[in-house]
Amino acid sequence: MTLFYRPVKPETKKIKRFLVRLIFVVLGRAFQSASRHDADIKAEVDSWDEGFTIIMRVHPSGPLMGLEKKNHRLVFRWGVLTQGNLEIIFRNLESAFMVLTPQMGAAQAFAERRMSVKGDLGISMSFTRALNALLAVLYPRFIVKRLLKRVPVLSRKKIYLRIWLYTLGIVTGR
Amino acid sequence: MLPSYYEYYNPVKILSGKKALENLSSELAFFGVCRPLMVTDQGVTKAGLVKLVKKSVADSGMTIGAIFNEVPEDSSSRIVNKIAGIFRKNQCDCLIALGGGSVIDTAKGVNILVTEESDDLMAFAGAEMLTTPMKPLAVIPTTSGTGSEVTGVAVISDPDRNVKMVFTSNHLLPKIALLDPRMTLTLPPAITAATGMDALSHAVEACLSLQKNPMSDACACAAIELIRENLVEAVKEGKDPDTRLAMANAAVMAGAAFSNSMVGVVHALGHAAGAIAHIPHGVAMNIFLLLGLEYNFPKCEMDIARLLLPVAGPEIYARTPESRRARKTIAQIRGMQQSLRDLCDLPMSLQLAGVSQEQLPMIADLAINDPALIMNPREMEKKDAVKLLNQAF
Repeated sequence: MTLFYRPVKPETKKIKRFLVRLIFVVLGRAFQSASRHDADIKAEVDSWDEGFTIIMRVHPSGPLMGLEKKNHRLVFRWGVLTQGNLEIIFRNLESAFMVLTPQMGAAQAFAERRMSVKGDLGISMSFTRALNALLAVLYPRFIVKRLLKRVPVLSRKKIYLRIWLYTLGIVTGR
Repeated sequence: MLPSYYEYYNPVKILSGKKALENLSSELAFFGVCRPLMVTDQGVTKAGLVKLVKKSVADSGMTIGAIFNEVPEDSSSRIVNKIAGIFRKNQCDCLIALGGGSVIDTAKGVNILVTEESDDLMAFAGAEMLTTPMKPLAVIPTTSGTGSEVTGVAVISDPDRNVKMVFTSNHLLPKIALLDPRMTLTLPPAITAATGMDALSHAVEACLSLQKNPMSDACACAAIELIRENLVEAVKEGKDPDTRLAMANAAVMAGAAFSNSMVGVVHALGHAAGAIAHIPHGVAMNIFLLLGLEYNFPKCEMDIARLLLPVAGPEIYARTPESRRARKTIAQIRGMQQSLRDLCDLPMSLQLAGVSQEQLPMIADLAINDPALIMNPREMEKKDAVKLLNQAF
């Protein structure tokens, strides 16, 4: 019997890759919209320099989501940014899937080293607060309890923002 | 209980004990280097420790490429640039850091510049900005607290922006840490106490962190036990080499623990207080440690209760009912702090450490952006930070 030793090409997890990309689009648009309306997110974005860019990406060359601060707001940059001033890097597709689906919060993902940061650590804390503020609006309380260390009480404004995001905000980015 | 997932990494070779220094040249030879640049400070030089290191490499064939002994208490990128220039000019091929936290962090900064062949240190600030393996760095700590000899972190100030910049990467980890009791025999009681409380804070916070794991817990508990048995003794009788060596080991173990598990709210407040009010890090740790434990109490009473065994020893642990162990841990640490205050007047409040009330909001602003907070079990917002700082005042 002759044995052939051939290189094994990496397989692709097409469905998970598609879902991660889709959630990145939803998250990016939600960020863009929420940065116009939510005071907590605005306060964090205000502390970053104009033109500051953030990307969330899957190592080594998986899906990515880009955000740029433009005119005091966040703008979702789809397929434009490949590098950012701050990069949140998922170690692999499974880690990204776990965090984005959302089975695991950012703090736990950092603790398990499923996510890492490249860039200024102070701004990464500010971004994490903005992300937490967005997640608290996006998801119902029973999910938020699993994602955040402290579950905020949603004001009436935040409930309106949730309705806005799910009706027009995510679709239009406004 | 095991965490659902964890990682532990500590590639630093530790050489601990009598005449450990004498192994420096053979250890460096293992990495194929023989012309180190020694980075140190004036205090270490005056204490005669540079002479000891020079003597330890006698007859080894190793040439010390240069000795830079002017590292200030708060190192900056300018100093790092200056030393990198000397490294290149004298054709050195590795680094020896002889000193405390500032000296070790400076040597790590120099290593970045000479490895990356750059003169802009701040371009590498932040997390995971380094991609190239560094030159061999041997660390000889002269204090027992920072743990920087086993961490991949450096804090160096940017004098142009007047901010402290954090550099983190596994590439920054030293290759060798030499713990020789002769290196800490001359450390004054107050610094011994403050650096010892720094080591204790590393170990305690590592045991409460979201990233805690069985390996970091083992290191942290061993460190706490050594600190319980030796810190007060080292402050009382600094010339005892066994006590000094035990404290040096405690600092390394605590360092290995927190570099794999992270610290939390105590360090976030301490870093910020150090940056704004320039209080020594060890003093800040002494002030914030118990407040941090109280703050995290609702989330980690069980973990604090488990700390009673290393903090107080088996007899007190066994005598204390399970429901009272967490409170007893806090009481035991308070008792240790009071002994240190009686021995060397270690400040126990921000006011006594020279912080003004007006500085508290600025400290709070900085503390909430400290990356140590991400692994703290309980969220800390600005209002929480202000409340804690007022309690510490």
